[in-house]
Amino acid sequence: MTWKSPVALVREALQGQRAREKDLRSLMSNLPYEGLEKGKQPNRYFPSNAIKTTKYSLLLFIPMNLYEQFHRLANIYFVGLAILNFIPVVNAFQPEVALIPICIILSLTALKDAWEDFRRYQSDKKLNNTPCFIYSRKEKQFVERRWKDVRVGDFVKVVCNETIPADLLLLYTSDPNGVCLIETANLDGETNLKQRTAVSGVCNSFEPESFNGIVVCEKPNNNLNHFKCYEKPDNQKVGAGIESLLLRGCTVRNTDHAVGFVVYAHETKSMLNNSGPRYKRSKLERRLNIDVFFCFILLFAMCLIGALHFIWLYALPGVPPYLVPPANGHLDSPNLSSFYMFFTMIILLQILIPISLYVSIELVKIGQIFLITNDIDLYDEETDSRIQCKALNITEDLGQIEYIFSDKTGTLTENKMVFRRCSIMGTEYPHKENIRLAVLNEPESEEEVIYNQDLQPLPTGWSLESEEANSEDTHRHGSRRKSKVLGTTQSDVAFSSPLETEVIPDRKLLQQISRTGSSSRCQKIDPYLEFFLALTICNTVVVSMATTQRRRPLTSDNLRYEAESPDEAALVYATKAYGFTLLARTPDSVTVRLPSGEVLVFEVLDTLTFDSNRKRMSVLVRHPITKEYVLYTKGADYAIMELLGTPYAQRHLDCYAKEGLRTLCIAKKVVSEAVYKHWLVERQRALTAIDNREVLIMDTAVQLETNLTLLATGIEDRLQENVPDTIMALRQAGIKVWVLTGDKPETAVNIGYACRLLEDEDLVLVIDGRTLTMALSPDLRGDFVDLAKHCRSVLCCRVTPLQKSRVVKVIREKLKVMTLAVDGANDVNMIQAADIGIGISGQEGMQAVMASDFAISRFKHLKKLLLVHGHWCYTRLANMIIYFFYKNVQAYVNLLFWYQFFCGFSGSTMIDYWLLIFFNLFFTSLPPIMFGIMDRDISAEMLLGVPELYKTGQGEGDYRFTTFWVSILDAFYQSLVCFFIPYFVYQDSDIDMFTFGTPLNTTALFTILLHLSIEIKSWTVVHWVVMLGSVLFYFIVTLAYSATCVTCNPPSNPYWVLQNQMADPMFYLICILSTVVALLPYTFHVLRNSIALSPLIEAKHLDRLDPSMREEWMKEWRSYRGGGQVQRSTLS
Amino acid sequence: MASSYNAKEEDGHHSGASSGAGAAKNRKPDNTAFKQQRLPAWQPILTAGSVLPAFFVIGLIFIPIGIGLYVTSNNIREFEIDYTGESSNSPCYSCAKNVTWNSTEPCFCTVNFTLERPFESNVFMYYGLSNFYQNHRRYVKSRDDRQLNGDPSSLRNPSKECEPYRTSGDLPIAPCGAIANSLFNDSLVLYYIDSNNSQSEVPLVKKGIAWWTDKHVKFKNPGGNSNLTAAFQDLGHSTAKPVNWRKAVYELDPSDPENNGFINEDFIVWMRTAALPTFRKLYRIIQKKPGATPTLPSGNYVLHITYNYPVLSFDGRKRMILSTISWMGGKNPFLGIAYITVGSICFFLGVVLLIIHHKYDNRNTSADIPS
Repeated sequence: MTWKSPVALVREALQGQRAREKDLRSLMSNLPYEGLEKGKQPNRYFPSNAIKTTKYSLLLFIPMNLYEQFHRLANIYFVGLAILNFIPVVNAFQPEVALIPICIILSLTALKDAWEDFRRYQSDKKLNNTPCFIYSRKEKQFVERRWKDVRVGDFVKVVCNETIPADLLLLYTSDPNGVCLIETANLDGETNLKQRTAVSGVCNSFEPESFNGIVVCEKPNNNLNHFKCYEKPDNQKVGAGIESLLLRGCTVRNTDHAVGFVVYAHETKSMLNNSGPRYKRSKLERRLNIDVFFCFILLFAMCLIGALHFIWLYALPGVPPYLVPPANGHLDSPNLSSFYMFFTMIILLQILIPISLYVSIELVKIGQIFLITNDIDLYDEETDSRIQCKALNITEDLGQIEYIFSDKTGTLTENKMVFRRCSIMGTEYPHKENIRLAVLNEPESEEEVIYNQDLQPLPTGWSLESEEANSEDTHRHGSRRKSKVLGTTQSDVAFSSPLETEVIPDRKLLQQISRTGSSSRCQKIDPYLEFFLALTICNTVVVSMATTQRRRPLTSDNLRYEAESPDEAALVYATKAYGFTLLARTPDSVTVRLPSGEVLVFEVLDTLTFDSNRKRMSVLVRHPITKEYVLYTKGADYAIMELLGTPYAQRHLDCYAKEGLRTLCIAKKVVSEAVYKHWLVERQRALTAIDNREVLIMDTAVQLETNLTLLATGIEDRLQENVPDTIMALRQAGIKVWVLTGDKPETAVNIGYACRLLEDEDLVLVIDGRTLTMALSPDLRGDFVDLAKHCRSVLCCRVTPLQKSRVVKVIREKLKVMTLAVDGANDVNMIQAADIGIGISGQEGMQAVMASDFAISRFKHLKKLLLVHGHWCYTRLANMIIYFFYKNVQAYVNLLFWYQFFCGFSGSTMIDYWLLIFFNLFFTSLPPIMFGIMDRDISAEMLLGVPELYKTGQGEGDYRFTTFWVSILDAFYQSLVCFFIPYFVYQDSDIDMFTFGTPLNTTALFTILLHLSIEIKSWTVVHWVVMLGSVLFYFIVTLAYSATCVTCNPPSNPYWVLQNQMADPMFYLICILSTVVALLPYTFHVLRNSIALSPLIEAKHLDRLDPSMREEWMKEWRSYRGGGQVQRSTLS
Repeated sequence: MASSYNAKEEDGHHSGASSGAGAAKNRKPDNTAFKQQRLPAWQPILTAGSVLPAFFVIGLIFIPIGIGLYVTSNNIREFEIDYTGESSNSPCYSCAKNVTWNSTEPCFCTVNFTLERPFESNVFMYYGLSNFYQNHRRYVKSRDDRQLNGDPSSLRNPSKECEPYRTSGDLPIAPCGAIANSLFNDSLVLYYIDSNNSQSEVPLVKKGIAWWTDKHVKFKNPGGNSNLTAAFQDLGHSTAKPVNWRKAVYELDPSDPENNGFINEDFIVWMRTAALPTFRKLYRIIQKKPGATPTLPSGNYVLHITYNYPVLSFDGRKRMILSTISWMGGKNPFLGIAYITVGSICFFLGVVLLIIHHKYDNRNTSADIPS
């Protein structure tokens, strides 16, 4: 350590700051500087790879945690009250005692935070010490180091199945083509492999020490699908994008080893993407806040009554001996003491504002989420994923959903494709054999290909715009990929089905091909040949070598295709069935074997990858025979149609769409050499550009892809399992299901029928994107919503993501209903617009999952999630909240309040402070929490069997305006009973304060617990233990306290009070009488349960039948009800 | 507070174990009854049929209890007489008018009364105060339990809760605080006027009126019960008497060292603050004489009162109460009536529920539900 002047240190710090803030970073290899002190390192300004996700440090934990906690309003309220209690003239308790509740709450929270932080610390430590290989110049080889030692500018080697320690710019791989496959499951849950390519120019015989370039990259950001940088080995720029970046947290697959240059350590994309859980406010909580406001009014009113103190004071003829003047010996004026009294009452009755309710709600939600995530029915074996609850506090909203907005692809459907039909040159090849196969084995997807060979010379007018996306846009494609095609280790089962890979060729088409193949060798003209060539070439499917790690059935030629989207794999397998076998693909060439056995090597000049704006991809190749530059384009039908030089009859496309197939079109065009050369220059420039690179690329791609000649295909994927069943159940539950899709109306309607969203007698609204734009305009919006309200289902076709979110917003705002959006892809807007966003993981992209509140792996899980967990969570929480209001008002506040009328409104308590505090904190806090987590009003089987029960939670549900007031009235009644029965018994007797308070307190405890017992719908062992435990705990603690505390808590002195009382039969007689009278109004419940059966009660009766009889009943009932309109609350 | 469950998954960096080549399906939830919410449960439904036995049982138990209570209460003899003297024809009128806290001369008055029926068993003699808020918050706090427990340091330096009755001049007050300061200091003596008009004093027992635990555990004299004067008047740490008291604490009952100082039972009883503004406190016990003679035969009595305690300043009343007691304490018909009433209501509701049960509950059987 050499000494540095402070100025130098400051300068150093400023330089570091500047280096980190710059939009572009220039990074150099660390190797030449190895062993030098830190100040000489070129990349010293950038943070090292050690991560620290902990929020606190050991030393500063207490101040920092307190600071965090005092951001909550509730805590401030509590502290304010405690401080108020330190003012002698107003204090109700001893000052120290008033601190207890807030201290307990704060310390509980702090403990929880500390524990979480400790877990983070441990996981950080484990991660930081994971071994990895870093190149060392001294040892001339890669040496084992730890993750935390990785610095920007290092060279890191990762071997197969190893996790990548930092964001690496891929420089070299063991693969001869410079390809490295990674699995991003840790980042986004996608289990397919993504291909990464080494930066061109350095990939051959790479030696870290000879790396003398400078890597210029952008400032770290959190976009997983976007990265740009360029490298200057020798003053010559080589651009690289996300396709060359190995992201931290991903796993290297199928590649023996790879070497990368560390561009971001610590500020990696995965770290920047890591935003904690999200907080939304649920509908129930919004309601709750209104009621808390009413509590404030109530509190205020009660305190004002307490301040009537002065009337009592004025009524006194003289100064009684029991009025104690303050220390100065003079009594305050009655008005002033009334003023003080008001605050004393606030302290005394503070519990009316249920702070503990908020804490309890959070605990209950943790418990509910725990149970939801542990539901084995919501676990998907295939992807080994549970349901993820990302938003932690809206579980109860799941029980109130009235509208579901669903995407189609990847949500309702599997997003698994198989080639089914095609149309070439206006001739349809129905592939009947395939369909039969599909029917036999449960249909997979179909793909239709229409090929209209109509070769046109390139139009003269296309301007050269470099189509960028030189590498696959992993994001969009990635989202389309399906795990089975990729067959990761976890999903080996799926691929064993031959269906997905095997296509039985259409006989007619096969004849066509063999005829052309044999008749002449003029491949360039034959449309059939061209069609299959296009299918074979125009994709990003990689032929992978057989690597031992991956157990997957190989194709007959020992070829395995790694595709990023399932349709691509489907197409390649289809062409293979026709004899066009994709043998190899490198970044520069595609090798294809023709049916004749001839092997053609196409030089790939460029790949214009798929993006969601263009909705197509293109490959520019040089034909090995004709030497022509040919551009093959593949994309959604409308994306291709608009580019066609000649209009094409849509007949087949429409016909496919009606069958629910997704159509893809394939087109081609021939590019002249001059045009190509010109374009190439543009493209190079665009690739190395940092600014506006995507825009440039987009523009050029669009320009290049003009005036194509049509080749069209269509794909449909099959519905996920149990989708019709789920949709039926959701509809029976009174939920309206809307499907918003980008597909054509015909496809959408077909899918609608397939998943029983549409049935013949239904009134259904099908609306397409353009009409929707008008319908959503401000003046028509109302009418549209009115119309939609009367439709059983609504299908919106051809809608953009933005429109989807607008639809959701309009419905949500106009109808004031709870909405839920499900999406399996990237419609973040829609998911965020709805009250609850649900992402379907595993199949399509991670964006929806990341933005969602809950992530499930299958659409069918929605059924149990809503009908069972939604119902349970909602009823549990609603009942618990109501109970909590009741409990606070009854036990604590009102008893004290009534007592004020008999103690001159002086703020006295007839119960020892400690016992008062314990009462709320320990004796009665656990049962409602357990109630909120574990109560089960109706069994899961019943809820699933009779979805109509879900309707009880919709709209206002259980928790209404009146419910709150009824419970408050009930609390008032019970507190009157609990107070005045002992009062009348002990009137004009020699009873002392605490002896009087003991039966009150005990009765309150019994009433509260018995009230809860009546509310509890199912008693498990846990319930018994908690309830009996609470009673026992009360007696044990109180007895122990009153036996030991002789002078421990001056001036309050409960010594031997409870013991005395328990020796007195009157105590028991009072407690029993008060409890019975307090609970007598429950007779109303009983009468209601007997006379006017609610659906829930009836369901409970059924629940008690044995399963077979219940089954029988449901069947009969279902047939009786038919599919007709289901009314609320009419079960029989 | 609710973030623990996702903390692990969302830390952004998974330890890599989940994606290892040989990783089993390790995220599968445990198939336990608790986690799957399938714990065996008792699911009662409150219907007329299921609760009506409870109503009958309650009715059948409550009514006899109520009758028992009512009869017991009625058998209790109770006599009370108000001697406040707020009206001019009352014997204590002049005392009531003249007595203040500062009076040095005691005022005497006598009240005559007649017991129509004899009191057979032990008789408890109470004094009753009305409109005296012994439960006022400031008042209740104004004491020092440590001092009363015999703690010497608290004796010298009482708790500040006792303010403004903590010190008198420079001396600490013993016992300090407003409760002690306002000690009830009337003395009551009862005379029986027999047939030949001679008065005989009824023997009043002044011990055994406080809680045993109070007398023996909570209240202790500093330095033991012998030589109380020294304990309270030692030169090193002498104490002052409460300002309203006529005599010091060690003079409360000089005749009996076991009933003097802090452990004087009248004092202990007073220090147990009453719950309600109208209360009575046990003053003396009249033991049943052996043999068949009643404790208090019917006849005329005279109550001699040393009237020291002013109550008119707060509209108070003073009473003397004579009462026998039973296992349920003093006379109180309320509980008996309440039990009878509630029992009857429950019984009636039981009948109503029985009717409802017969009328409605049958349809809940499974047979005819899909109608």
